[in-house]
Amino acid sequence: MHKETYSFFVIAAVIAAELDKATKIAKKLSITASNARAVALRAGEGAAGFRPLTDFIDKLATVTVHSSTEINTLAADLSRTAANKFRTDNAINKFEAVYKRAEGSHFIDSLNFGYDRTKGCQYLLYTNYQKQLSKLTTELETLKDELRTAVILATLSRVEASQAGLLYQESLNNVANNVESAASAIKDHISTSQHLVSNLQQEA
Amino acid sequence: MKSYTIFENPSHKWIVLGRDVDKPDNIIDTNQYVVITKKNTLLMDPGGIELFSAMLANVIKLVPVEQITHLFASHQDPDIISSLGLWDQALQNATLHSPWLWEGFIRHFGMEHISYSAIPDEGSDLKLDGVNLEFFPAHYLHSSGNFNVYDREAKILMSGDIGAALESADAPMFVEDFDSHIEKMKMFHQRWMPSNEAKNDWVNRARALDIEMMCPQHGRIFKGDDVKRFLDWFEALPVGILHTK
Repeated sequence: MHKETYSFFVIAAVIAAELDKATKIAKKLSITASNARAVALRAGEGAAGFRPLTDFIDKLATVTVHSSTEINTLAADLSRTAANKFRTDNAINKFEAVYKRAEGSHFIDSLNFGYDRTKGCQYLLYTNYQKQLSKLTTELETLKDELRTAVILATLSRVEASQAGLLYQESLNNVANNVESAASAIKDHISTSQHLVSNLQQEA
Repeated sequence: MKSYTIFENPSHKWIVLGRDVDKPDNIIDTNQYVVITKKNTLLMDPGGIELFSAMLANVIKLVPVEQITHLFASHQDPDIISSLGLWDQALQNATLHSPWLWEGFIRHFGMEHISYSAIPDEGSDLKLDGVNLEFFPAHYLHSSGNFNVYDREAKILMSGDIGAALESADAPMFVEDFDSHIEKMKMFHQRWMPSNEAKNDWVNRARALDIEMMCPQHGRIFKGDDVKRFLDWFEALPVGILHTK
């Protein structure tokens, strides 16, 4: 089945899974930052311009891990709310079937308490769902913006790598490539998530 | 869904709901039993999600929702209690009585408002407005944690899967010819019941009860001498048998 034909609570779970993948890649970016620092130290004066960049790579990795972990939690919460909303919507449908089936029954009004309570619960879940969806949209956009610096960092890293001696050039270029490919992979997961979120916004 | 009153006296009545012609295909037909006392109502094995609307629509023809105060699940199967999450939304102040063994499992059906009363292995009593109902152990028949409900005053044993038969939704509510009914029960008991020892222990304890009606969760109700016929037949039946085609 294609993702877009899933129910909304499944889409929310798929978003959580996408962000989980992004978090794992962001953690790898952290390792890249540590490696970059080690290579820069070994390269000595030849990579003097590269060293400050490793701090930026490290910072980017930290921010990305933090943001993607938070967004992952947010998506997991959204998935839980969506599943509860589905369960509550289902209960409302069943109650409405009872009102039809037992129309005119002496005790039919006694169902009102359960129906009203479930309706109240449905309203709370709906508003919570909207809030979570809106927050998720903002956070995804913010993370995507943060990742734009990765392209600049990769370019600067390449420039600095070309200044280093031949012995370290390849290692430093690898660092630049890793930063670029990690950022690109995370961006892909974010774009997929954003597409799924826009599906949810249309359904809501 | 049809509704029959099978017992009534000044203190309480027993009603069976079942033979739901509107139920979706490919789900097993079930009997749901209801005991109504002065201020309380007990629903026994209230059934699956698919049955919920029909079941609630029928029950509120009998009592207001706030009077549905107790649920009983003989064991953890979906045809017994998968509707729990919906009852949980509908009821105001209810208790579910079920084997202690299944509490952690049954809660997976969704239970935020209803409270769980765990029945110990040896069984226990439930008193509703002076009417005493006994949770009668029936472990391994078929579930490893399993109870029947016995009403000494009405002489009714709600026997869960014991005495169950697989037949169509338009079958009569009572056994009319025991011998011809055997074929509808045999495979069910041999395949679903795993233990001869547990079966014979239950038969011996059930023989000590005064039973006028034995009410299974699937199939037909046994009355009078057919109860004794069933106990004799069940005692002689080897169970835990895999039928191969």
